[in-house]
Amino acid sequence: MPEVAADASAVPATRGELLLELSGVSKYFGGVRALHEVDLELYRGEVVGLVGDNGAGKSTLVKVISGVEHPDSGEIRVGGEPVRLETPRAAQSAGIHTVYQDLSLCDNLDAVRNVFLGQELTGSLLRGRPLDRHRMEAAARTVLDSLAVRVRSMSTPVGGLSGGQRQGIAIGRALISDPSLVLLDEPTAALGVSQRTEVLELIVRLRSQNRGVLVISHDLKDVQEVADRIVVMRLGSKVAEFARGQYSSGDLVAAITGAHDAPRPSEGDR
Amino acid sequence: MSVQQSAVPVSVASPGDLPTPLRGRIVAGLSGPYRSIPVLIVLGLIWLYFYSQNSAYLTTTNITNLTLQIVTTAILALGVVFVLLVGEIDLSSAMLSGVCATVTAQLAIKSDWPLWVAIGGGVVVGLLFVLAEALVIIFGVPSLIVTLGGMVILQGLLLVVLPPEFAINIGGTDYAKISSTYVPAGWSFAIAGVGWLLFCVARYRSHRGRDASATSSALLWLGVPAVVSGAAVFGAVAVLSEGRGLPLPVLILVGMLLIGWYFTSRTRYGTHLYAVGGNREAAQRAGIPVSRMVVYSFLVLGVCAAVAGIVEASRLLAVSNSSGGGPLMLNAIAAAVVGGASLFGGRGTVWAALLGALVIGSINNGVQLLGLSTEVQSFATGGVLILAVAIDVVITRGSLLPNRR
Repeated sequence: MPEVAADASAVPATRGELLLELSGVSKYFGGVRALHEVDLELYRGEVVGLVGDNGAGKSTLVKVISGVEHPDSGEIRVGGEPVRLETPRAAQSAGIHTVYQDLSLCDNLDAVRNVFLGQELTGSLLRGRPLDRHRMEAAARTVLDSLAVRVRSMSTPVGGLSGGQRQGIAIGRALISDPSLVLLDEPTAALGVSQRTEVLELIVRLRSQNRGVLVISHDLKDVQEVADRIVVMRLGSKVAEFARGQYSSGDLVAAITGAHDAPRPSEGDR
Repeated sequence: MSVQQSAVPVSVASPGDLPTPLRGRIVAGLSGPYRSIPVLIVLGLIWLYFYSQNSAYLTTTNITNLTLQIVTTAILALGVVFVLLVGEIDLSSAMLSGVCATVTAQLAIKSDWPLWVAIGGGVVVGLLFVLAEALVIIFGVPSLIVTLGGMVILQGLLLVVLPPEFAINIGGTDYAKISSTYVPAGWSFAIAGVGWLLFCVARYRSHRGRDASATSSALLWLGVPAVVSGAAVFGAVAVLSEGRGLPLPVLILVGMLLIGWYFTSRTRYGTHLYAVGGNREAAQRAGIPVSRMVVYSFLVLGVCAAVAGIVEASRLLAVSNSSGGGPLMLNAIAAAVVGGASLFGGRGTVWAALLGALVIGSINNGVQLLGLSTEVQSFATGGVLILAVAIDVVITRGSLLPNRR
């Protein structure tokens, strides 16, 4: 199979530290096989694109990595150590932070409160845990500046901001706990052209901060633009892996639709 | 926390830097710091109208009456604001206030307990009842239904805790003194001064932590609220002191408002309340204990209901089977909403309770003063309520234009 050949040559010469390793991860929902024997490695300073058709198992894989779902079999290793990611909290403390497709922002709160939501810096319990607004604002500003996200005022509700700014604030929240790995679920869905460029630049900036990035997207153009490596899922299995510059758009589409296995292009996932 | 600066600064032109059209800025302002301005304008118009009809409206005596009339509604509305903030609703707190007041009266007068202990008993009853309601709500039953059922249960409970003659007269007891105590002028000014100073200091301290764009509007942020609140506080105290003094219930209300303001606007607890009301799923994902925040807000409502009921009973000198009934519940909800608390959750401040109660109380007081029929009062209150919710809808939708389908 041509994909296997691509897989073998997918490893670039220089690689960062191995952050996350999945081996033989499977997940079943009743009788439905959502994930089958998936192996995945994520490295520091590398953007990995995860693509696949609807129902290919992308979301399930993301849920497994972000601690929302638990694999039925297989092993997850963080920094070489086997871990069990029982909750999103556990994943966060293992250095994995997920930015959800809906961004999970509170539109009625300002940028600072959104960036620190659930992780506020506060004073003593005796005074009712007052917010340390100075430190929070300074830290939020540093994080947003590091992403070159410009917000006119840190103290107006984020509901009125542009899609790109909101994505920036959502990623800013992920960065507050200084994660080594950031998962982005459909970051460019429902964005305009200029905002899409903004978000792709955010992803590149995350890589330049020497973090590992996993981008899940429907949009092959976006993924081809930013990803150093592309992982293709089909029917719950990892079917191909391509390194940058070693594939054509045709290869990607063929892997996603399974055109090599089944010559009839009309065959879908269901 | 360490964040590395990106090596290559890339300028990103974001649409947010463009000037927003006036319509958008009006909506943004209403959803932000200027939410109370339309309420203040309406309040000013109401006062102007009734004053032009009868100059007795703005006399010391009538203003003292007005403040005493609105205290119960405002305290209850404060509790309702907390419940609205987390995106729930309450219909039972007025009846609960009647039950709590009756329990306190039973303990203080029939059982001859010390007043403070009796008040504590009333508050405990309030807390237990809202705790039960909140537990059913976080189990998943809509709060509208739980508190509607709670209201009906409380109507029965009121008859259970009342003696067979269905009334307890509390005239001439310590209980009645709560509403008839007036703080002397000197003390009033001292308390008002300290309260106002603390308010300004807190605003100044939070201002120092704000970003450059807010600094440019430092005058607006610090000066205007300081002057407006100072004028309102000292003006009110001066007017009241000319009469019999600052009524103790007003002091209780202001104290509760200040505590509520501190917790909602300055603490982690407050941020989480707004987060739960703004986007419950996001709050959950961020690790905020959503159910616990709902329970907390109902507990605040329980305390407010008990205090409101006790103050009202001491003003009316009796508890009876009509305690907590009548228009009190609807007035409290209307006050919270008219003052700017959103029915959709996550928006509004504790001051909404005071402003809304003032608007509704001013209408009622004026209508009675002019000897107009109660229909006029109903029309005016209903109209103001619908106007307030319309503003809320505009803010929630983020547009002045109606939904296009």
